[in-house]
Amino acid sequence: MAKILVEQLKPGMKLARPLMNSSGMVLMAEGTELTEARISKIENMGVDSVYTDGPSKPARPKEELLASLDRRFARVEGNPQMALIKKAVREHIEAMYE
Amino acid sequence: MSNLDPKTLRTRVENISTVPTVPSVLKQLSTIIENPKISLNEISHFVSKDPALTTKILQMVNSALYGFPGRISSVNHAVMLLGLNVVKGLLLSVSVFEIMHKAMMGLREHSIGVAIASKVIAQKKGLKEPEEVFVAGLLHDVGKVILILMYPEEYDRAVKESEASSIAIFDAERNHFSETHAAVAGWLSEKWHFPKKLCDSLANHHRPQVSTLAPLETSIVHMADILVKARGIGFSGDNLVPELNPQAHEILGLTEADLREVLKELEDSVEQTEEEFKA
Repeated sequence: MAKILVEQLKPGMKLARPLMNSSGMVLMAEGTELTEARISKIENMGVDSVYTDGPSKPARPKEELLASLDRRFARVEGNPQMALIKKAVREHIEAMYE
Repeated sequence: MSNLDPKTLRTRVENISTVPTVPSVLKQLSTIIENPKISLNEISHFVSKDPALTTKILQMVNSALYGFPGRISSVNHAVMLLGLNVVKGLLLSVSVFEIMHKAMMGLREHSIGVAIASKVIAQKKGLKEPEEVFVAGLLHDVGKVILILMYPEEYDRAVKESEASSIAIFDAERNHFSETHAAVAGWLSEKWHFPKKLCDSLANHHRPQVSTLAPLETSIVHMADILVKARGIGFSGDNLVPELNPQAHEILGLTEADLREVLKELEDSVEQTEEEFKA
């Protein structure tokens, strides 16, 4: 899932989340395929960005995220259950950059 | 401050309505929800006086978090679907979001993350009411907000001590207040007549092994807190991942693959939710 600015939307993209107004009413359902007409409709709604299918990459570099992960776990090194949690988070972070 | 005894602290916490530094919205809400016979109509009336509050609550129940997209259009309808206690909890958390954000930058994001992770783990464990665990996650750190509102300078010293000595924020709290945010949340949730299981989870989320009424739910919030801190979402007073309690580990029995799935769902939902509650 990726957050895309409205001006970057292209026909053929699919909504990964339903598009709702401020009271929670669904204006376009999840999975809706965008067309030129639907994109101009979204522009007219005054929203800045929508969620579409596809991966979203973090803004910060991977090395920075992994280094702060090490710092957060520094106090619990040596605990096997914590090592498992750390491994899962590390793999999760690495997968975000693939 | 370190000589403040727990009894005095508890009395002061339970009378937050008389503390001048506590915002009036929280005082009003506290008075309303502490009434054990609070009715649906009274809740609806209170909420309807504040259109922004109504919108935020409906946004919360209609967001992907609850899986009722676009179906709930009134607070009454929300209560029918989710139950009075869940709505009471949502009302409290949505009302303190703004205060939370001002009191500790990042605590709101941390709390939303723990709520989502709690719900996902609860669903994995087949709990019938994952919404209740969601609320426990959302409110698990409300005690920090209360301590900051009541003792801003002392709390600041606790945060600084935690950073300087690399100790957990709850240990620093104990040094400065003789009790922790978890105890504070436990006292208040009892006063507010929240369900006993919820009170238990709030009071014991750092020591799930002593939970008698809700060992599974409390272990879930404990684990969710660890995962959110491990992933580095938001800020909750320190940057250290707390140690998983061995008993909670056994109760939950989550595999590495389970953890990866929880993290994946957490990542997707947090991004969207933060967007919704930024305002």
